[in-house]
Amino acid sequence: MLKTRSWAPYAYVAPAALLIGFIFAYPIARVIDFSMRLIRGNSGPFVGLNNYRLIFEDPTFVAAAKHSALLLVAVPVLLAISVLVAVLLFERVRGWRIYRSVLFFPYILAVPIIGIVASYLFTLNGVVNAILRGIGLGGPDWLGNEKLALVTLMIVIVWREVGFGIVLFLARLLSLPEEQIEAARIDGAGWWARLRHIILPELRGTIEFYCVVAAITMLAWVFGYVYTLTGGGPGNATVVLEFYIYNQGLRNSLPGMASAVAVLLMGATMIFIAVLFWVRSRAREEEVA
Amino acid sequence: MDPLSRPISRRQLLRYTAGGIAVAGLGPLLAACGGGGGGGGKLSMWWWGDQEAVGVKKWVDDTIAKFKEQTGTTIDPLLMDTNNVIPKFTNAAAAGKPPDIQFIFNGIYHMENVWLGYLAPLNGLVSDNVLKTSGATVLSDFEGKQYRVGFYIVGFGLEYNKELFSKAGLNADSPPKTWDEFLNACDKLKSSGVQPLTGGIKDGFLGEWYFVNTLTQALDSPAEALDLFIGKLDWREPKYHEHWVKLQELYDNGFINNDINSLELYQGIAPFNDGKAAMTINTTAALPDSQSKLGDKLGYFVMPTFGSGKMAGIPITDTQGFGIPTKGHDHEDAAKFLEFMHSPDRLKAMWTLSKALPADDTFDSSLIDDPFLKGVYDEWWKGTHNVYVADLMPTLFWTDAMFVASQKILAGTLKGDQTGDLAAQVTEKWKKQNPDLVEKYTTWGKDLAV
Repeated sequence: MLKTRSWAPYAYVAPAALLIGFIFAYPIARVIDFSMRLIRGNSGPFVGLNNYRLIFEDPTFVAAAKHSALLLVAVPVLLAISVLVAVLLFERVRGWRIYRSVLFFPYILAVPIIGIVASYLFTLNGVVNAILRGIGLGGPDWLGNEKLALVTLMIVIVWREVGFGIVLFLARLLSLPEEQIEAARIDGAGWWARLRHIILPELRGTIEFYCVVAAITMLAWVFGYVYTLTGGGPGNATVVLEFYIYNQGLRNSLPGMASAVAVLLMGATMIFIAVLFWVRSRAREEEVA
Repeated sequence: MDPLSRPISRRQLLRYTAGGIAVAGLGPLLAACGGGGGGGGKLSMWWWGDQEAVGVKKWVDDTIAKFKEQTGTTIDPLLMDTNNVIPKFTNAAAAGKPPDIQFIFNGIYHMENVWLGYLAPLNGLVSDNVLKTSGATVLSDFEGKQYRVGFYIVGFGLEYNKELFSKAGLNADSPPKTWDEFLNACDKLKSSGVQPLTGGIKDGFLGEWYFVNTLTQALDSPAEALDLFIGKLDWREPKYHEHWVKLQELYDNGFINNDINSLELYQGIAPFNDGKAAMTINTTAALPDSQSKLGDKLGYFVMPTFGSGKMAGIPITDTQGFGIPTKGHDHEDAAKFLEFMHSPDRLKAMWTLSKALPADDTFDSSLIDDPFLKGVYDEWWKGTHNVYVADLMPTLFWTDAMFVASQKILAGTLKGDQTGDLAAQVTEKWKKQNPDLVEKYTTWGKDLAV
């Protein structure tokens, strides 16, 4: 048997560990360090948890956290549309490959482009309202009304992000053994029965993964939409945590406070990831049992 | 075996990596050796302005070309986006890699960088004469040092369409001077079927222009504005938030376009340039563009007054400008370029090439061959004018008070008389979040009061 020194495996792993540490751990450590300083320029005096205290006292932060939480409502909407459309495409309706490409198309467009175009479409006298007025439905102020702006933002986000969900679920469906579904069909199972008893259970893992990814998107990947579509307004009706970070870090020259929010956001995101791992491990245990 | 498809050995990888690192390290060293103030070097410049003074890029490019002809020094310009030009500079300066010449807005937009030590004082670098005449304004000074030279002027007021005024039975050659006259004009315009005022406030810039044009009327001096921003004076005092009460008055009377909250600044101005609205708040930098669309129908006037401060009724004029970053690699050549920008030939060229109005007291305004623009230049720059008090506004006030108040009023969800509380709360919040800046602001206020 080949004998190696006890430290040798660590030595082999060390370069990769150092590299990963430098790429990931160092920036995170810096953000945590920044979150406890009054940063001016590159550094600043240590202020302990004062930045955290200040953000919780800030009504704009509270509003931003609330709006970010509200955006999570889009997750079940995304899930429902994605699964439904993927299942319909899986039925191989005529031209399904074209529909798949068309539905995925928004996802390959850059977010700023979508934001800018949508901001034109959704103005009070824009194309969307022109169509609505044309069919006698009037037209609300999608972006200028405080109560509607966040909903409008959500509509645009769902419109783009749903393409990813559809392709993801369709890919999983196409990998299912055809025999199982065909056998159910021969046994007389209808569309709904096949969906409920075969397709959805098979999609379970993908659904769990997609929900977590979509939730992280809503919490930490919507800045581009907010920046280009509403700028956080009207008032602060669409300020979300990411936009608050941008305002504090870049516009208000308070990187310390921005870092404190980033740390909290990272914590919230990690909770979602932990939930995913927990659900997956439980599912594996059930499968083994 | 094809050499390109041959597997690379570990030793080769290490050698190539070391070589790459050496080349990467030598690059900045070689670049640093290139400057030196003796000409023939290369400077980088980050700038902004073509979005506002449309066409000024032509002048910038021409000036850079002429400077190279005369000195051999190459300037590498980078036109920046409005929202990025200052934050990116601050980040680059913090990282020790700023450009050699930097565009800077007036007041707090560069003063915070001065306090961080990112901008060099220009005294001793740029000639005293250019510093004095370059139109930097008093807001570029801190503790006796000047940090900016001017670029072009930006006056603030209202554009109006003389033809639509006449059709509404108004005297097109005598725009309103008082708030009551203004409301009367709006009323007549509305009755004649014309949209009195148009604008877009989604991005907040129109809110800032309105804020400056109207808050200034309540003030006796710029120092008073600064005292408001740092909480020495109280926004809840009616005269300090009356401007937002007046905004609500315009909104309640239906004098403002109903889609103002869903439009951005220039989207909101477009109907004016198309002849579909009678008035819009705009800057002098945009006048040539409006003129090209409306011709002789275009007029410009100072915001009508309701306030009784000493600054009321006087044109407001700001200047854009340039500074030299502390860690720029060649201050001497950068200073030469700033002086070159203010040479008589270049000042003249700014007008002839770009129709922009140079920020310089030595510019001969008789060169402006357009009577309308000459009149504006003489009134807004040569005559008595106020500074632009938003230059003293902490950005937090911009994002959390000015932006929020103006949009909420125009969405009908906040009353003008509630804005004093909002502004006071945001001011207190700013003080808590920026205890170190309060002191800097106080020092700056003393400079402004002198």
